[in-house]
Amino acid sequence: MIAEGTQAPDFTLQDQFGRKISLADFRDRQHVLLLFYPLDWTPT
Amino acid sequence: MPGVEALLPRFRAAHTQVLGVSIDSVHCHANWGRDLGGVSFPLLADFQPKGAMAESYGAYLAGAGITDRATVLVDSGGSVRHASSVTPAGERSPDELAALCEQVDREAGTPTQAAPEPQGLGADAVLYVKSHCGFSRRARVAVDNVHAADLTVRNASDDAQALEALRQVSGAETAPCLVLDGSPLAESDVIVRTLAERLAPI
Repeated sequence: MIAEGTQAPDFTLQDQFGRKISLADFRDRQHVLLLFYPLDWTPT
Repeated sequence: MPGVEALLPRFRAAHTQVLGVSIDSVHCHANWGRDLGGVSFPLLADFQPKGAMAESYGAYLAGAGITDRATVLVDSGGSVRHASSVTPAGERSPDELAALCEQVDREAGTPTQAAPEPQGLGADAVLYVKSHCGFSRRARVAVDNVHAADLTVRNASDDAQALEALRQVSGAETAPCLVLDGSPLAESDVIVRTLAERLAPI
């Protein structure tokens, strides 16, 4: 698991609406909560 | 995820964008979100190369080929403020997640802005669809994910008046077609993205 206090790696991935979303999009605007989960159709 | 969706106003007030991440594809995410009653916050497809983004956060379980059930909170300055795992079999409390974000928002000291407000579709928006059409289905799945329950949906396959109205507004009989402010949008990719930008902006 990534260590607290380190810089978060940037990424660009598509969401369920086909939008390309990057961590950098939120810089100086919003905090980002990343919820990793094993697979769709499993409990969250 | 439905528990998180229900608490989105709290995350929003805490200047926090929620992003779900798994190795599933864009279409898989869309259909799962709909099955859950609609998921409007982004579900990211860490699909190709599989798990690469999760791997960079130490949240990919290579042996099982899946993502760990892990939580990482990044402040608006780009620093990791919280990282934890409950293991794939574990459970997370949406209420505790919201409380964590509220605490970091109070303490982070990094610049934030209010999240963009949904613009809406306008009262005269209409989505034309056809039966047995995969592209129409994709548009309808997006409608459910952004909770556009008020949007008028007309099926041009079994309604002659709807087909004639579609022909008049778009000059064609192609569905899906989303009419916004009197202008037709014809491609399902464009329709899906537009629904998200209007009703679930980020």
